[in-house]
Amino acid sequence: MSSFKEFKIKWGMAIDLDKCTGCGACMVACQAENNIAPQPDASNKLKSLNWLVVYELTNGKPFPEHEVAYLPRPCMQCGKPSCVSVCPVIATEKNEEGGIVSQIYPRCIGCRYCMASCPYHARYFNWFDPIWPEGMDKTLTPDVSVRPRGVVEKCSFCHHRFMQAKDKARVEGRDPNALNDGDYITSCTEACPNGAIVFGDVNNPAHKVHELVKSKYAFRLLERLGTDPQVYYVSRREWVRRLGDNYLENEKVKG
Amino acid sequence: MALDRRGFLKFIGGATAGILATPVVWKSLDDVSIWSQNWSWIPRNIDGANSYVPTVSKLCPSGVGVRVRLVDGRPVRVLTNNDHPLGGGLSSIAAAEVQLLYSPSRMKRPLKRTADGAYVGITWEEAETMLVEGLKKAKGGDKLAVVSGDETGTINELFTALAAEMGSKSCFLMPGEAQPAAKAWELMGGEGQVGYDIEKSDYVLAIGANVLETWGPVIRNRHAFRVGRPHGEAPAVRFAYAGPVQNNTASTADVWLAIRPGTEAVLALGLANLLIKAGAASPAADFAEFRALAARFTPEQVAAQTGVDAKRLAAVAQELAKAKRPLVIAGSEFGQGGGAAPVLAGLALNSLLGSMNREGGIRALPYARKVVPAAMDRKALLQNDLVAWLGKVASGKAAAPQAVVFYEANPVYALPQADAVKATLAMACDLVLPVPMGLERFDDVDTPYGCGQVVYALAVPALAPLVDARPAGDVVIGIAKKLGADLGVAAFADALKAKAEARGASFTEPSATNAHVSGAVLPVNGIALRPDVLSKAIDVKAPAFPVALAPVAKLNVGTSMTATPPFNTKTVRRWEIQGKELYVMMNGATAAKLGLRKHDRIELSNPAGKFTVRVNVFEGVMNDTVAVPAGHGHTAFDEFSKGKGENVMRLLAAGAEPGTGLSVWTSAGVNIAKA
Amino acid sequence: MEDRQLNSSGCATDGGKCCGGGITPFLVGLVVSLIFGWWVFPDMLYSKKEQPIRFSHKVHMEDAGMECKQCHVLREDGTFAGLPSTASCADCHSDVMGSDPEEARFVNEYVKTGKEVKWLVYQIQPDNVFFSHAAHSLDGCNQCHDFKESELCAQCHPDVANSDSAPTLYENKLTGYSKQTMKMWQCERCHANENHYGVTSSSNACFVCHK
Repeated sequence: MSSFKEFKIKWGMAIDLDKCTGCGACMVACQAENNIAPQPDASNKLKSLNWLVVYELTNGKPFPEHEVAYLPRPCMQCGKPSCVSVCPVIATEKNEEGGIVSQIYPRCIGCRYCMASCPYHARYFNWFDPIWPEGMDKTLTPDVSVRPRGVVEKCSFCHHRFMQAKDKARVEGRDPNALNDGDYITSCTEACPNGAIVFGDVNNPAHKVHELVKSKYAFRLLERLGTDPQVYYVSRREWVRRLGDNYLENEKVKG
Repeated sequence: MALDRRGFLKFIGGATAGILATPVVWKSLDDVSIWSQNWSWIPRNIDGANSYVPTVSKLCPSGVGVRVRLVDGRPVRVLTNNDHPLGGGLSSIAAAEVQLLYSPSRMKRPLKRTADGAYVGITWEEAETMLVEGLKKAKGGDKLAVVSGDETGTINELFTALAAEMGSKSCFLMPGEAQPAAKAWELMGGEGQVGYDIEKSDYVLAIGANVLETWGPVIRNRHAFRVGRPHGEAPAVRFAYAGPVQNNTASTADVWLAIRPGTEAVLALGLANLLIKAGAASPAADFAEFRALAARFTPEQVAAQTGVDAKRLAAVAQELAKAKRPLVIAGSEFGQGGGAAPVLAGLALNSLLGSMNREGGIRALPYARKVVPAAMDRKALLQNDLVAWLGKVASGKAAAPQAVVFYEANPVYALPQADAVKATLAMACDLVLPVPMGLERFDDVDTPYGCGQVVYALAVPALAPLVDARPAGDVVIGIAKKLGADLGVAAFADALKAKAEARGASFTEPSATNAHVSGAVLPVNGIALRPDVLSKAIDVKAPAFPVALAPVAKLNVGTSMTATPPFNTKTVRRWEIQGKELYVMMNGATAAKLGLRKHDRIELSNPAGKFTVRVNVFEGVMNDTVAVPAGHGHTAFDEFSKGKGENVMRLLAAGAEPGTGLSVWTSAGVNIAKA
Repeated sequence: MEDRQLNSSGCATDGGKCCGGGITPFLVGLVVSLIFGWWVFPDMLYSKKEQPIRFSHKVHMEDAGMECKQCHVLREDGTFAGLPSTASCADCHSDVMGSDPEEARFVNEYVKTGKEVKWLVYQIQPDNVFFSHAAHSLDGCNQCHDFKESELCAQCHPDVANSDSAPTLYENKLTGYSKQTMKMWQCERCHANENHYGVTSSSNACFVCHK
């Protein structure tokens, strides 16, 4: 794998799966924030487009020992993103301070190599032109460009909010590279009433997420692939953590 | 000089060489590629200045406090309002509220039903004339009925005042959790509105009540959950949930007690029995009788009725007894039809736990005084039972009304026995009047049922109505005037102002929330546990069906008055709806017993109705129970919801709760046959 | 067949003279296309548009002593307001102040009616471009450079500080953008310049400028 930059600032999430009820508010807030078009029939999950998906997890036991958990899956903003190394046109890269993996739509040729390489299914292809019901396009935010059919898109950690937070800091005479905890949070983080998502700079001890990712219950998805994701999950339930990676039957789960 | 073929070719050669030395080709290629980035049918970003309007959602039943983000006056987002007493996050329906302003199924002008059943657009003047004429015919003697889908607004006072002026007391709310709770609280001798102080509790046992999805001020509840459950640490507040389905609340609760649908009260009495045995007592005068009643609900009896084994029951009883500020919340797992018995039994548990009138326990909250003199107050309105009344009308025991006014209510879809309701209400309205949507109007949310505090929140318009809509309050005041009645308020705004004052709120200063919290509570004295009523009400006849029915309510697919918003189709789970087909859930053992496998097509039927669905095996469902997702099967609205799945309300038949007479429909059952 | 034979024999007898006139047709073709490509085509490609009101930056900057940022303001939240609204112009021009007929027209047609002027913008970027005016500040650039405010603005915008009338906008008929709209390579004059790294927060990462 090619080498990737290290960053002083590393935006990341700690998602507490014991706090997520699977209500879907984050998914709706994400669509509205990032100008993702609605779909009349979204039951074909291979052709519906989301930057954030809430998956259902089960402990696999029969009633009444059954337990259920929900897992919100944004882009992991991997430290060693496999999507970046396969892109033939450099439409996606990990190069900016903060470590967010970029996706430049006009540059994307829609080859979908990145989708094949992403182990988290975080990337989506625009099978259809984005169409809003008549008039509803007036509710688009000015912050994110609308993607046409034929390109790949993915969660950007609401990158525009990062830019806005930096600009606000500049206007207020603060250092844009030393944002306070909470100055920049993603739309899903903000929307979750349960506070299941904590967002911040993983490298900054002043940010809450810095401690949370060190929890003994913290894990990352498919950690042993070496993708080094910036999204951490937290669960006190062993079976939930076990689902985060491919463990052998008798292998001990992290945490 | 004549130009021959060779000369022409040379000319072309020269021209080609020349053109390559100019920007024509290169510039055109570049420009065409730029042109291809901006197709006319792809919407463009429109920049502008941000502004934010703090308001409260009238769309979401949780009454969530929000901020609307506008860009140059154009609404683009509903955002979280962390300062709001009903805020702290978004519900999946409130998050889509801005986009719903442009819903394809939005009414754009007043409509009149013609003789052939089609609707045609008319002017407001015509509509109001028609309305006045219609109402004139319904004057005197309960000939007018009003059905409101708004449980918390001052608007109800105007509607009920208009009805009173017309000589009618037939005013109803769409069924919810508040009505059975009000009945139970009244039976116990409680004053005001019963409140649950979740914020300060350290152990919350929800019996039936889907506290993290549909019960009460959900976002406020969930904010309390957030605060009590720090990331990756042992929770400071434990949550236990009892219900037939491992729903959203159960998924994060520390304990899930699977019970048969409709056995909430039995479980509560079983817990009461164990607590009393362990030494708990209630100061209530009828405690001795209650103890005798509870003693009937031995762990064995409870196990037989609810399906909860004795060990698990004892564990929860112990946790309750150990907790410092335990709180029991009982209700219906799909937010309606639960009757008074579960609430009575739940409140009795609170009394045994010493949780009455205590921080982190039960609070009695004062109702706000009326601001429209002739109106029915909330307490009186909550006593009227719409389902029971419709039943009486259908069977001829009550006079059929001459006119019915529905406000933000969709009874043909959302009431039990939807098929019969359709027949009773003679199908459809003659006149349909568009009101401004929640984000376009002044309105209010006054202390939603479940709140532990008096909260008064003002809804403020973020924009002018996008369609030819008029505020319902002002229309009612105008109509009353034309009918020769003076409601005592000149405009709806005055009523809101008076209501805010009645709650001690003033909105003269700009505020980050437009909401007011008051610490006002009423004393809780001389509470009775009413074992006399409970013993009758608990006598639920076991469903004579092989499989019990458990509807599962989720806010993402809409409410009783709104279908699935366009943005929310993606939040519907894969094995909930496929194409147009609904999937229902049952556990593996139940499926095996019925000889069913995942994806099998089955027919659910009972005397109320029937429909065909497919099977999804989900282990988080009680034995011998089929869990049916609610909120689907709309026959109206738009391509995002119309014709998708089935409406579970069609399978629910209301019965009368013995002892209270309330309509109940939480103990339904179905026959299942392969289709 | 016969024709062709005749032709070829005719050519042989006439000697080079009739063979397309030597190099002349080539040169004619070359010149014609050069003229077309360098003079006619650019004229065809762009349509000319004038501002709805003749606005003099010079009067405002020299006579009224104003600075760019007084009208082209950064909002409190860090976003850039771009062009002033009629309301903000009316802070001074609530009534006609001078003798310029254009000013009188502005006051009568816009201020008094509350209409917004549909100013033409020379530097509108596609939706996928994010530009932060707050980031491109004098403080940042003047760590090494010595720009005046108007000079900094003129790095990207037409330098109108000293002009009495706004320049004509050439709108590309194919793309709809103005002729002056900056291309990525122009942004990269600074963003890909390694001397800027470390000193300013400049970077050439894609997401710094794209959304």
